[in-house]
Amino acid sequence: MNIGPILRAMKHNRTRVVLIVLEIAITFAIVTNCVNVIIAERKKMTRPSGFDDDNIIRIHTRPFAPEFAEMSFLDTSIDADLRLLASIPGVRAVANTNFQMWEGGGSSSSYVPASSALKDGPQIQNYFATHGIAETLGLKIVAGRGFRQSDHGIGTQPDPANVALITRDAARAMFGDQNPLGQAVQRADRSLPPFTVVGIIDSFYNPYGINDEGGMSTRALIRPARVGSSGNGVSYMVRTEPGAVNAVVTEAERRLAQANPGRVIESETMLGKRNRWFSGSQVVVTTMTGIIIALIVVTALGLLGLTSLAVAERTKQIGTRRALGATRADILRYFLIENWLVTTAGLALGVVGAFALNVLLVSQISDVKMGWQLVVAGMVLLWLNGLASTIPPALRAMYIPPSIATRSV
Amino acid sequence: MFTYHLKIAVASLRRNPVLTALLIGGIALGICVSTAFVTLQHMFTQELVPGKSDQIFYVRLDTWGKDVKRFAEQTIPDQVTYKDAAALLRSPVPVRQTPTFITTAFVHPDPKIARPYQPQIRVTNSDLFEMFRIPFRYGGPWPKSVDTKPEQVIVIDHATNARLFGGANSVGKTIRVGERHFRVVGVLERWRPPMRPYELMRNPLGAPEPMYIPFSLTPSLELPPAGNDSAWKNEEMDTYAQFLNSEVMWMQYWVELPDAKAVDAYRDWLRGYILEQKKLGRFERPLHFELTTIPNLLEEMRLPLDGVKALSIVSLLFLAVCSLNLVGILLGKFLARIPEVSVRRALGASRAQIFWQHVIECELIGLVGGALGILMSLGILSVLARFMPNGEALRLDGEMLLTASFLSLVAGLIAGVYPAWRVCSVPPAMQLKVQ
Repeated sequence: MNIGPILRAMKHNRTRVVLIVLEIAITFAIVTNCVNVIIAERKKMTRPSGFDDDNIIRIHTRPFAPEFAEMSFLDTSIDADLRLLASIPGVRAVANTNFQMWEGGGSSSSYVPASSALKDGPQIQNYFATHGIAETLGLKIVAGRGFRQSDHGIGTQPDPANVALITRDAARAMFGDQNPLGQAVQRADRSLPPFTVVGIIDSFYNPYGINDEGGMSTRALIRPARVGSSGNGVSYMVRTEPGAVNAVVTEAERRLAQANPGRVIESETMLGKRNRWFSGSQVVVTTMTGIIIALIVVTALGLLGLTSLAVAERTKQIGTRRALGATRADILRYFLIENWLVTTAGLALGVVGAFALNVLLVSQISDVKMGWQLVVAGMVLLWLNGLASTIPPALRAMYIPPSIATRSV
Repeated sequence: MFTYHLKIAVASLRRNPVLTALLIGGIALGICVSTAFVTLQHMFTQELVPGKSDQIFYVRLDTWGKDVKRFAEQTIPDQVTYKDAAALLRSPVPVRQTPTFITTAFVHPDPKIARPYQPQIRVTNSDLFEMFRIPFRYGGPWPKSVDTKPEQVIVIDHATNARLFGGANSVGKTIRVGERHFRVVGVLERWRPPMRPYELMRNPLGAPEPMYIPFSLTPSLELPPAGNDSAWKNEEMDTYAQFLNSEVMWMQYWVELPDAKAVDAYRDWLRGYILEQKKLGRFERPLHFELTTIPNLLEEMRLPLDGVKALSIVSLLFLAVCSLNLVGILLGKFLARIPEVSVRRALGASRAQIFWQHVIECELIGLVGGALGILMSLGILSVLARFMPNGEALRLDGEMLLTASFLSLVAGLIAGVYPAWRVCSVPPAMQLKVQ
């Protein structure tokens, strides 16, 4: 089909063409950028933590009764609490630990291989936990073994076994490609005696919850000990059978309060905490999705309106063309091609706009560079959108009878 | 003339209710989205301490040892040690100054009212309240003399007062905190700033603490820090006194310096202090300290959050698309009216009159749509607030209401000027010839 007449007709309706081009361009720029941000946020939100997030509860007890200040009372109460929690129906594993998830920060120190003379090494997170920790968090031990009950000694001190589990990334940071199992590690400030690596944990990226692949958020070291104090309280992690979380929370709080009422008991599910951690991302994803949908509807309505206007304005010309022998298909094709041309012009401008907006947004948000796949997908989406909003008025144009040409208005 | 234009505009809008609804709905959608997200951004960019955000400085000192390697991005510790805080208090330069940290303790209410609970308690000098303009309902800060001669006094917030004393004026009553009794000297007004101005480095979006006690009590009550602390040195730390004398950094320090002269004087004072400490073997690294105003600190902390800025940019572009859409619809509407307009022109209406009449019609659409949009944005804001830790502080204030009204007028104008100009350039009686 010859597009000459279409272009000439467009020249006579410059305003309409300019409006559609601008509208499509801005819509395209916004939609691609919003989708880009959504993808980036989703990636953050769906990154696996390495733990069984859905079924883990953290229970924190804050004792105010004076007897908890006695170290031996505290130790006994921790063991009693662990037994009590393990006996609740639906509980799969339980551990006492100072490790937390989705906290945005944690405890860390600089570690070096004990054989080295280095004064400074990689910053590695360090936590204490009782022997159920791997099973409780759902950690995968890829080499060596987890903790045994005999690993932690008496009291809340990590003695006498002096062993540690470290994550794969912590091992790589300290030992490179050497086998870390059986190696001794030490705090860089030599404030504690060295301890032996007995197991390697697969993936791990909490509690910092930030994306620094291979950085500190994935490097950790866990040592076997009961942990807690009368001042800071005592924390437990409980892993439940799938779906039992809420029932276990209620029962655990009731039984712990019954066992010793001299303390405040707080619990939170990992899922709840994770959702709170990502609530900002969730807001961005939801609102951007809303804006995209509203925008596409608005643009479609706008195109529909403008094309309807064009058809109404040209009723007489269409009748004349029909009278002169143009088929219905010719008329339909005319409008579809016209809109396709305008949409494409809008998209061409939109690609420029999308990258310009991306530069503006990237200056505000880091690492959301626009990918070409997204640009292509956005183009297809808006082409379809343009097509969908042209078809109704174009069909109306198609059914304009040739006889209308003979009427005067 | 204006009322006549208005009458015609209303008549024209009523002639085609469906089209009018579409026009008003279009503007309303644009205004609703843009108002909501501009308000969100506004929450983070409004001045935190009205009138003097740039006179309040956060003090950071490089007390690290020579060999300390911290996280790469950190160039100076973000908190100070107790011994430095205590020393800084001796400076006569700042008009107001305070060290501050959070602690926690069990509060034992009357057993008839509630079980013991463990709130966060801010430990501070009396200057904090005046410095950050924290409003009081009853009483006020403790007297300055308490900052040197400790007394067990406490300031509580509105909610605590409601919980423990039924909202009555509780000044003079006592509260049991831990094993000790504290006398209430002040009750805060309901106060929820979008960010805690004195806690920008850690969890700035959190709510203000419910209780405040004098910093001078720290050594005698052995208050444990409940916030973040960071240590770089291997030190004996068996007693609280050793902890206070250590290089552990666990408190924030704020000073109020009203003008550039005071800032210079304070810089000199700090330099003097650090040089003096260097002689004692502390401050091993090159002399380095930082005084940062609240706005600069916010920038450093990347607040407002990235997503917030992105959303406000995107929402304004969204309004632009809605306006463009209106141009198209209005063009069709006005052009369909050409016969009527040309008759009016032939009967003596001037071009300007036709133009203004149409612009007024557009502004009418803008205002009605804007009002509707503002109402709808309240809905979006209340949903957003639920997802935000500081959602309570998210509201449409007078400034934002004005901005929204202005935006709707501008949107109406942008959408209407070109169609109005097109329709007013119709030659008089052109249509008469045809018909």
